[in-house]
Amino acid sequence: MNDTRMLAYVETMAALLKLPLDATRTQRVALNLQRTAVMAALLEAAPLAAHDELAEIYRPAAFPPNDDGRQ
Amino acid sequence: MAAAVASGEVSARELLDATLARIAATDGRVNAFTDQTQARARAEADAVDAQRAASQPLGPLAGVPYAVKNLFDIEGVVTLAGSRVNRGDAAATADAFLVRQMKAAGAVLVGGLNMDEYAYGFTTENTHYGPCHNPHDLTRIAGGSSGGSGAAVAAGQVPVSLGSDTNGSIRVPASLCGVWGLKPTFGRLSRRGSYPFVHSIDHLGPLADSVAGLALVYDALQGPDALDPGCQALRVQPVMPLLGRGVEGLRIGVLGGYFHDNATPAAREIVALAASTLGAQAAVTWPDAALARAAAFIITASEGGSLHLDDLRTRADDFEPLSVDRFIAGALQPVDWYLRAQRFRRVYRDKVNALFRDWDVLLTAATPVSAPVIGTEWLDINGAQQPARASMGLLTQPISFAGCPVVTAPLWPAGTGGLPIGVQLIAAPWREDLAFRAAKCLSDAGVAHVRPVQL
Repeated sequence: MNDTRMLAYVETMAALLKLPLDATRTQRVALNLQRTAVMAALLEAAPLAAHDELAEIYRPAAFPPNDDGRQ
Repeated sequence: MAAAVASGEVSARELLDATLARIAATDGRVNAFTDQTQARARAEADAVDAQRAASQPLGPLAGVPYAVKNLFDIEGVVTLAGSRVNRGDAAATADAFLVRQMKAAGAVLVGGLNMDEYAYGFTTENTHYGPCHNPHDLTRIAGGSSGGSGAAVAAGQVPVSLGSDTNGSIRVPASLCGVWGLKPTFGRLSRRGSYPFVHSIDHLGPLADSVAGLALVYDALQGPDALDPGCQALRVQPVMPLLGRGVEGLRIGVLGGYFHDNATPAAREIVALAASTLGAQAAVTWPDAALARAAAFIITASEGGSLHLDDLRTRADDFEPLSVDRFIAGALQPVDWYLRAQRFRRVYRDKVNALFRDWDVLLTAATPVSAPVIGTEWLDINGAQQPARASMGLLTQPISFAGCPVVTAPLWPAGTGGLPIGVQLIAAPWREDLAFRAAKCLSDAGVAHVRPVQL
């Protein structure tokens, strides 16, 4: 993404998140995001299959040690 | 120290007084401490001495002074997490889980330690509280984000400290300050009562001036905690009884490829020394290291930015200038980047765990270089100009992203002006004992050790 489009993205997303940015900070944030985009492109190129799920974060409850569901 | 207190060779109060005197004499130059808890420390030390006088059993860390990164809750103290924003928060009403574990073991808390704001950094060049200085050369960084935790131990202010490590924040200061550090398995130690940075990668752990001290503290910190959703350990697995078992029969390898390419000659030198001491075998390829670093970077920025979004909206100018733009950029990342990174993490974990079917301990440097001068913007790493602050995590991020336990051992290469670089001793998840056994061998051989500093 070129600099102009990245600046526009930052301005739009910041407005959506109600995050006030002045012009100088917008430039710096866009520069940071541009660097991250390079890393994201690496990951984009790495193969992932449809069944490759997210690393676990959420558990509704700990798995019960007994089949009757008692802890 | 605990043995000296237990035997009556020295009282806990005498140890504490010497500790406070050392801090008073040196911290004006090191800037490791942001808070001191002297009244509490005296009460804790006196309680230990009273226990001993009454012939009551003493804890394994009885009378040992320690300090914690200021993202740990300390009852009655505001949890700064290195920030200006948090100064207005109410004081913590209870100690963090790990502080309670230390207290139960008889340790004596002397204060809170300097760090990068909200743990988002590798240098502890904290604009609000001043940079933490490396005790081996005060013009240089102590590393970060647990810079105060590394510097306080290196300066001889405390023998033990606690820190946190999301992408390298225990291992980097341990490396640059020349002390022992442990990043345990992700999910080993409870994080309850510590200020979060990245929920899905945050770890807590100890730093120490000896490998035996590190092991003793680690064992005291262990304990299941059902109230921390990230704490997955269901029982204590002590390493102290296994520490002296040696490395005979262990399959020990050296990481090549990415880890060799991103290490300077001094870092390669200490890895080679550790490898020869441990009888390590051929170079081993760690899977997808560069991708793992990219994924860790994206998840860190996204979760960190989201965590602080409310304050970024209203008081961004109160944030650390060195990291505020990264926080904001993280909050603006497309969700596909984050989700892809989390999906990659699961595939990556399977590859890393498969690697440990063939190996018990893997070695690499903890940092590409020894400590840079405070304010350094760019580093030359094997002919490539790299941003200095981010580069400190090149060799640590892929490992913590996998969640593997790592002991960082302090070694002393030639050609760095007397500055240390750490070696990471990496084991499979839940096998801290293997990394500790290798660490003990390096210590016993005199290859890895803490050096006293002149301040």
